[in-house]
Amino acid sequence: MTLFNVLIVTVACLLGVGLYGLLITRNLIKIVVVLQLLVKSVVLAFVVAGNVSGHPGIGESVAATIIVADTIVAVVALALAVQVRIRFGTLDIPKISSLRG
Amino acid sequence: MNVPMFTLLVGIPLVSSPVVYLFGRLTTRAQVLTRQGWIVRLLALLAVAATWFPFINLWLEFQARGNRMFFNIESIWLQLDGISFLLAAMVLTLGTLAILFSGRYMAGDFGEEKYYAMLLAMIGLMIGLGCANDLFNLWVWFEAMAVSSYLLVAFYREQPGSLEAGMKYVVQSAVGSALALLGIALVLAQTGTLDMDQIRLMVGTMELNKLGLLAAGALFFIGFGVKVAMVPLHTWLPDAHSQAPSGISAMLSGVVIEAGLVAMLRALSTLTGFALSWGWLLLAFGALNMLYGNLLALQQSQVKRMLAFSSLSHIGYILMGLGIALVSGQPAGAQGAAFHLFTHMLMKGLAFLAVGAVMYALFHEQGIHRPLVAHDLNGISTRYPWVALSLSIALLALGGLPPLAGFMSKWQIFVAGFQSGNGWLMGFVIFAAVNSVISLAYYAPLVNRMYRRVTATSVKKGSDTIHWTMQLPLLLMALAVVVIGLFPSLMNWLTEPAGAALMSIFQ
Repeated sequence: MTLFNVLIVTVACLLGVGLYGLLITRNLIKIVVVLQLLVKSVVLAFVVAGNVSGHPGIGESVAATIIVADTIVAVVALALAVQVRIRFGTLDIPKISSLRG
Repeated sequence: MNVPMFTLLVGIPLVSSPVVYLFGRLTTRAQVLTRQGWIVRLLALLAVAATWFPFINLWLEFQARGNRMFFNIESIWLQLDGISFLLAAMVLTLGTLAILFSGRYMAGDFGEEKYYAMLLAMIGLMIGLGCANDLFNLWVWFEAMAVSSYLLVAFYREQPGSLEAGMKYVVQSAVGSALALLGIALVLAQTGTLDMDQIRLMVGTMELNKLGLLAAGALFFIGFGVKVAMVPLHTWLPDAHSQAPSGISAMLSGVVIEAGLVAMLRALSTLTGFALSWGWLLLAFGALNMLYGNLLALQQSQVKRMLAFSSLSHIGYILMGLGIALVSGQPAGAQGAAFHLFTHMLMKGLAFLAVGAVMYALFHEQGIHRPLVAHDLNGISTRYPWVALSLSIALLALGGLPPLAGFMSKWQIFVAGFQSGNGWLMGFVIFAAVNSVISLAYYAPLVNRMYRRVTATSVKKGSDTIHWTMQLPLLLMALAVVVIGLFPSLMNWLTEPAGAALMSIFQ
C-alpha cells in the first residue's frame, strides 16, 4: 500500500466515522466533536488533492484556512450548547425538541 | 480608480460592523455616554445607506462596459457580473429596509449593538459572496455569512425555541459546508486550480475523470443545498425563520437562502458538460420543494412558520426557472428565475416585516414573547389599516394574483417553459401553476381574517399606534410590489444581465 492509498483510506474512514457519528450521537457536545472529525477529513482531503494535482501549495494554504474557519463554527456551536445547557438543563437532543411541523 | 470603489462596496458594511459594535458598547454598557441606543441605529442605517454609493457607481461603469469586471483586494481576485449585481441589489434593498424597521423593533433589547454588527457583517459578506471568482474563496464568503446568520437566528438566547432553532441550523449548515468543501477538494485534485474560469476551461477541453466530477457536483448539490433548503435538506428552515427576530426572518428568507443558491450555481457552473443533468435535477427538486412547502404551509397555525414553509415553495419556482433555462438552453427561464429571486425578496421581506410590526404592536410592546397565530390577525385592519394593507398585498402577491409582482415573475418562468416546446418542461409548468393555486388556500384566509369586523382580544389589547419607522419600509415595499406588478419591464435593467450571466457561466 502506497502512502497515497493510506491517505485516501484515512480520509474515507474519517468521513465515514463523522457521518455515522452524526446519525447516532444524541449529545450536543459530542455532535460538535463529530463535526470536527468530519471537517478534519476534508482538511486531509485538501492536502492530498493539492499533492495529487501537483500544486501542494494550494492544498496546504486552503487546509490552514479551513482549520481557522472551522474553529469559529465550533466556538459558535459550543457557545450555543452552553446556552442550551443553562436554559434546558440538559444536552440531550431528544429532550430539547419543542418545535414541531 | 476602480479598485477603491469595489473595496468600498464590500468594505463599508464589513468595516462598520465592528465600529457599530464598539459604539454600542460605549454608549449602552460602559456608560461613557448615557444610554443612547439611537446612535447605534443611526450609524448602522448610515453605513448601509453609504454602501449604495459604490453600488450605483459600479453599476454605471458596468452599464458603460457591458461586460463583467474584475477587481482585486490584495491578491484576491473578484468579479462583478449580472449575478453579483442582482444579489448586491437584493441585499442592499432589503438590508436598508430591515435596518430601518429594526430600529424600533429591537429598541432596548439586550445586545442591540450585536444585532446591528452581525447584520451589517452579513450584508457585506453576502455582497462578497456574489462576487467570488474562486471556488475556495466562494466557500469562505459562504461560511462567514453562515456564521453571522447562526448568531442572528439564536439572538433571543433566553428563549428555548430560538436556541433550539439556532442549534439545528448550526449543525445542519456545518455538515452541508463540510460536504461542499469535499466537492471542492475533488475538483482541485483533478484540475489543480481553484479559479472558476480556469476550471471551466479545463473541464471543457481536457479528458478528466467524469465520475469524479459528477461526485463533486453531487456534493455541491447536497452541501450548498442545505442552505438553499432543497426539500430533504430543509428541516432547519421553518424553525430558524420563525424563531429569529422579524428583521432577520425577512433577511433569511429574502436573501440568505438566495445567496446559498447563487453559491450553488457558481460552484455547479464550473463543471461544464453536465448542464443538462443539473437542469433536470433542479427541475425535480423544484417540483418537490413546491409541493412539500405548500402542503406543510397549509397545516400551520403560526403565521411566521407558514411564511417559512411558503419560502420552500418559492425556492421551488426559482429552481424550476433555472432548470428550464439549463434544459432548454434559452435565457428566458434564467431571466424569469432572476426576476422571481428579486420579487420574492420584496414580497417575503414585506410579509415578514409586516407580521413583525403586528407582533411588535400586539406582544413585544407589552413585554410578551409568544408566536403570532392566525387567530391574532382577526380584524387588525380596524386598528392598523396600513400594516394590514401591506401584509395583504404581500400575501396576495406571494399567492400569484395577477396585477402584483409575484404573478409577473412566475408568469415569466411559465412562459419560458412553454416556449421551449419540450413536453416534460410543459408538464413541470402545469404542475407549478397548480401549486400556485394551492398556495392561495393558505394566503387568502389570512387576508380574510385581517378584514373581519370582529377583532381578536389580543388585537384589542395591542398598542394604539405603530411607529412610522416601522410603517415606512412596509409601505415602500408594498408600493414596489404593486408598481413592479404593473410595469414588470422596470426590473429588466437588473434581471436581463443576471439571466445572461447565468446562461454564460453554464455554456
